[in-house]
Amino acid sequence: MLNNIAIAAPSVEELAQRLEKMQIDMDNLKKQLANRATKQDIQLVEKKVQKANEWRDSDTLVHMAGYADVGYTDAQSEDGSFNSANFSPIFHFQYRDLVMLEAELEFSTADSGETNVDLEYLTIDWFVNDYMTLVGGKFLSPVGQFRQNLHPSWINKLPSAPPGFGHDGAAPVSETGLQLRGGFPFAGIRTNYAVYVGNGPELVAEFEDGEYELEGIEAEGFGSDRDGEKVYGGRFGILPFAGLEVGFSASTGKATVTSVEDGDDGLLSNEGARDYDVKGADFNWLLGSFNLRGEYVETKVGSSNAGTAASPGAVWETWYTQGSYRFVGSKWEAVARYTDFDSPHLSQDQTQWALGTNYLFTNNFIGKFSYEFNDGLSGNASDDDRFLFQMAYGF
Amino acid sequence: MKILNRKYLLTVGLLGFSIMVLGLGSSVSLASDFPEAGDFVRGSKAWSENCMRCHSMRSPSDLRDDQWVTTVFHMRVRAGLTGQETRDILTFLQASNAPIDNSAGDVEPVSKEKIAQLSGGKIYQRNCMACHGANGKGVLPGMRDFTDKTGRLTKTDAQLLNNIINGFQSPGSSMPMPPRGGNAQLSNDELAAILSYIRQEFSK
Repeated sequence: MLNNIAIAAPSVEELAQRLEKMQIDMDNLKKQLANRATKQDIQLVEKKVQKANEWRDSDTLVHMAGYADVGYTDAQSEDGSFNSANFSPIFHFQYRDLVMLEAELEFSTADSGETNVDLEYLTIDWFVNDYMTLVGGKFLSPVGQFRQNLHPSWINKLPSAPPGFGHDGAAPVSETGLQLRGGFPFAGIRTNYAVYVGNGPELVAEFEDGEYELEGIEAEGFGSDRDGEKVYGGRFGILPFAGLEVGFSASTGKATVTSVEDGDDGLLSNEGARDYDVKGADFNWLLGSFNLRGEYVETKVGSSNAGTAASPGAVWETWYTQGSYRFVGSKWEAVARYTDFDSPHLSQDQTQWALGTNYLFTNNFIGKFSYEFNDGLSGNASDDDRFLFQMAYGF
Repeated sequence: MKILNRKYLLTVGLLGFSIMVLGLGSSVSLASDFPEAGDFVRGSKAWSENCMRCHSMRSPSDLRDDQWVTTVFHMRVRAGLTGQETRDILTFLQASNAPIDNSAGDVEPVSKEKIAQLSGGKIYQRNCMACHGANGKGVLPGMRDFTDKTGRLTKTDAQLLNNIINGFQSPGSSMPMPPRGGNAQLSNDELAAILSYIRQEFSK
């Protein structure tokens, strides 16, 4: 037994080799340890990374958001065509929690192929305190909800705006002036408000059958007040419980005829300032995947006996109700909307049923298919049923 | 001559006076610790109750922390939020925008004794209810119904705990469940207690 052990024992040479190998391994290990970061090293790096995060530490933040859409429309009396390539970047420049500059541009492709550029809004928002923000500049009209909150294509559940809520409709689009807005709790319920003073709209007259009449209202945030008459208004919203919001809007002031549809504006002189009054109400109810909302707006313009375009007053009125349902566990959504738009002109009047199906690739990238059953003056575009497809992306 | 018009002077004077009063009353509006911390729990509730008033819910992981700052302040103006609601929602979103970690390994099982020591119901109410609802049926569109007998709770505890801890994207849903429900402060033991509560309450 002892002899066997003696025979198995390594020679001095073998031991020396092993020792040398161990020395090499130990040197490698030392090198590895030398290259390894200690806990203190990691903490130091973490601190440096935190400081190097310019976005988080900067007092001024710059951010671009916005939305874009492309689409296809096929109406009864027209050939189908790809259209509505819209790109609306929104720029945000914020200094801490004191002030934010917001600007939305709208690039769109005209039927002629030209690119139109519009300033949708540009405001400087001063966060006065927790309950007030003073907004100055050109802002979306706070009358109702559609224009100020729902019109972006990635938010609007249908490819089109409800009749009367677009440009030259019953609802004002934007305003240039000052606005105070915010929210506050009151008697256990949440409320929000917006009050404003602005340049107000301008009126368009039309010369027909030997006399002038009111054609439309342009309430699109004019950069000057040509008649010197301001408009005052606002909206008050109540949220009695989570999921329900009810709002009331109104504005009042004066408006004057400043242009003639397809006519010579130079003929206008000494136009009288007319009464301009808007009233509206809206609601929004959410129950899980179901959403029901509606809105009513009436714009009344008074008569004028003064000036070239002296004529009686007129009323524009529109309302819509929209229901939508997102199927549980799927990316599909169904939408239905009914709108009734009444104006002083039969060619503008329209009732519409819009039925739609949406596919939400993500919550901000939506494919919309819709069919509109339109009922207007026969032979007029407002009477054409339409199929619409739109891809909208909010970013 | 127009500048001497009485009505004009009245309007300008009223605006100037209003701005001056607002300015005097806003000496504390510039917070020295911007972005000022809000409350995570209140923020998750305010987020689930407000954003869907107008648009489909954006996932917290859609934007970086700094992008959420400008976005939420923009929404403060647009949605009529108070300053406190703004800070709460921002705190919730910045805490919840960690991406889903698919590389993380399986989670160690938590003992029943540890779970029994914690109140899963209370933790659920503070951290999960804003999205999943008090009845487990889901508050946000597309949210899975815990009470569905063939639904989410047919998975094993290990699978569910893994999804809760690392985050999960359900097929067909537009918004992922953020890691730890968006609250990185919750421990594995607390998350296991929540899961135990969900099973007890909603899979009866």
